[in-house]
This record gives sequence, C-alpha cells and structure tokens, in this order.
Amino acid sequence: MVRILVAEQSYLLRKGLTHILRQFPEVGEIEFLGSHLGIEEVIHHFQPDLLIINSSIATSSNDKTLSKQLPDTCHVLHIINTILPQGAPDNQLSIYDSKVSLTDKISNTIKAVSEHKNIEESEELTPREKLILKHVALGQTNKEMAAALFISTHTVISHRKNITRKLDIKSVSGLTVYAILNGIINMEDIS
Amino acid sequence: MRIHANMKMADLVHLNFEVLAVIQRLQIPFGFKDKSVQTICEENGIHVEFFLQLVQWFNERENFPQEQLMQGKAEWLVNYLHHTHHCYLHYQIPRIEKEIEDLEQLAGLPDQSAHLMVNFFREYIREFTAHIEDEENNTFPYILALSKTLSGKMERATFNQRYEEYSIDKYLDHHSDLEEKIFDLQSILLKHLPPPSNNCQFTNLLLEINRLGNDLKDHTLLEENVLIPKARQMEKELKSKTSKQ
Repeated sequence: MVRILVAEQSYLLRKGLTHILRQFPEVGEIEFLGSHLGIEEVIHHFQPDLLIINSSIATSSNDKTLSKQLPDTCHVLHIINTILPQGAPDNQLSIYDSKVSLTDKISNTIKAVSEHKNIEESEELTPREKLILKHVALGQTNKEMAAALFISTHTVISHRKNITRKLDIKSVSGLTVYAILNGIINMEDIS
Repeated sequence: MRIHANMKMADLVHLNFEVLAVIQRLQIPFGFKDKSVQTICEENGIHVEFFLQLVQWFNERENFPQEQLMQGKAEWLVNYLHHTHHCYLHYQIPRIEKEIEDLEQLAGLPDQSAHLMVNFFREYIREFTAHIEDEENNTFPYILALSKTLSGKMERATFNQRYEEYSIDKYLDHHSDLEEKIFDLQSILLKHLPPPSNNCQFTNLLLEINRLGNDLKDHTLLEENVLIPKARQMEKELKSKTSKQ
C-alpha cells in the first residue's frame, strides 16, 4: 500500500485531493498537515512513499532539512498555486488543473511508487538478510556488523531497511523476537 | 456533520463514540442529561472552542486543527495530554499486558513465544513509563512555566534561574518513538506467530493493540505538531521581550 503525506494549507484542496487519491486502490494511509510546523517529525515517523506538498509550505520549511528527512525512495508532487506554463514538469500539480490532468499525473506517480514497492514486498528474507538479522538480534551495532562481515556500514543499513520493510518490524527488540520465533537465534544467545 | 456548542452533549457522543476519549481526558463527568455542550463545558471550566476543535478533529481526521489548537492556551493542551498519559499508564497498558500474559495459557502457540511477547511488552512498558515521566516531570512543567512567565504570573528571574540550560529542543533530542514497538507487536502477532487456539481472545488483543497504536499516533501529533511548535513560539516571544527591555 502506498503511504501518502499531504502538506497543504487549504481545506478545500485537501478535500479535493483526498477525493482523487481515494479512487486508487493502491493508496493506503494518508496523513495530512496544514502547515510546515512539525513536518520533519511527521516525515520521520510516517515514512511516506509519496509527499504531496504545496509550494508555499515547501518554501517556509527549510528545504535542505526536508529533503534530508525524506526516505530515499519517496516521490514528491508539488502543488503550485498558479497556472502552470506549458511543458511544466510532471511532478507539478496546479490548483487550476482539471480533474483529468490531476488524475493523470497522480496516477503515473502512484503507479511508479507501487510498482517499486511490489517488487520489494513480494520477496522473503534472503540468506544475507537473515545473517544480518541474526547479528542485529544479537545486539551488534552497524559498525560491528560491517567489520564482521567485511561490508560497508552503508550496505548494512540498506539490508536493515529491507528487513524492516519485509517484516514490518522496526525496533531491535521486535526483530529479536522474530529471530527467536523463526529459529534464527536461540533464546540462550541473548541472555 | 457540523458540530456546535448548542447541541446536546449526549447527541454528540451518539454521533461518534470515539469522542468519549476527549470527554474523559478533559475530566468531564458523565450524567449529561439534556445539557448542551456549551453548558457542560462552562460547568467544568473548559474552553468550549478548545473542546469543539478536538471533537471536530475526531470526527474529521483529515482536518487537523493545528493552528487553532496552537492559538489556545498551553495549559489546556498540557492538561489534556496529562490525562491521556494517566489513562495509558493506569488502564490501557496494564490491560494489554494482562491479555498478553493470558496468551501463555493458550494452546497452539509454540513453547516460548508467549513468554517472548510478555518480555517484549514489559520492556516496552519500561520505556513508555520513562518517556512519560520525562514529559510529566520536565517538559510539561517547562512549558507551563514559559506560559506563566509570558503572562506575568511567574517572575522572569525565577524562570531564568530554573531553566537556564533547558529548551524545547533538549526535549526533542531524546524524544523516542512510542508507536514503533506497538506496531511491531501488532505485526508479530498478526503476521509472524502461528495461529493460536482461542481466536476470540487473540482478536481482542489485536484490536486493543491497534487502538492503542492509533491513539498514540494522535498523541504524538498533538505533541509534535502543536505543543512543541507552541513552545518554540513562546520561547521566541520571551526572547524578543527580553531584547526589547
């Protein structure tokens, strides 16, 4: 399911967008914000796959911190409060766009996001990921794992992200429970 | 449905039972009779607009009244959050703990799994309690002091002395995520445990966990998107007052 964060100050626009977004069966949770206040925290918790943000909110929040907070795979659509010039990029939605044109642009983005997610979601843990999970459950840090397995911390982090996404478990203690339940480590290993 | 101050409180609840949470957290006693929302709020010293904003939000999730809530007094919000904490700690969490403990008696689960769940949840309770105690003992008093100082109820010197080193960003530094483990628990029970024998008990547990998780999301939203921006705003105001003097 595609997770969407809408940051838009206008109530009417939020309603209209919800109406369009809810037509797509791929759309899961939608979160809303009416201003830039606290947007970093929401992004951090919610981890959206798609951010739809009004350009005036984007300018009042610090652009750099915002893009740093966004997950790598997150798509962004910008809501522009004026008429778009011809040949404007596809990731811009104008408040004057017709429903057809809005639906088209949003549809393309949602398709791209959900295709990407489906490829990833249909997989089980790979042997490599199981190995990483074992080390995580044993309480090792990313650095320790990188050293033990002769890989970079960056690789460790990307494995961990994949594990969390596949299992839907974020915390180390949750992952540990999973590892024990599935015989990846023993109860005695952690005590 | 447009909610207004002149409608009967009992009718408001009938429209959406979820608003009982707001009523409980603002410590409004039951026994509404035919009284209106306005009357009941006045009787209990609750700002009626604040009450309506929260209830409206419960009825229309995608319309979070961030700006309106920020314009309200910090005291109102802190009071609301304080009673929410109380309910989590003394009611909702112990209930879930008890139900997880009861899993140990269920046939069908592999040996250690119920025990693992109990341990997982107890660890969570420890973190949860620490998180809430920090807010109750440090963050909330700080925000209340900020508000008092701005309204002249607290001496500037007292405030400075007490909070020389503290700011709201300090709190954010170690602000941990309370929902994460609740949703982990939900995934483990839903996706990764073999099916237990008593479906009824298990379903109920899942429903309660889900409810707590969603409620914690609301709670975080109120803290991070209203209370903290509000505190920052007050910090700024206090600073600009100082520089003018």
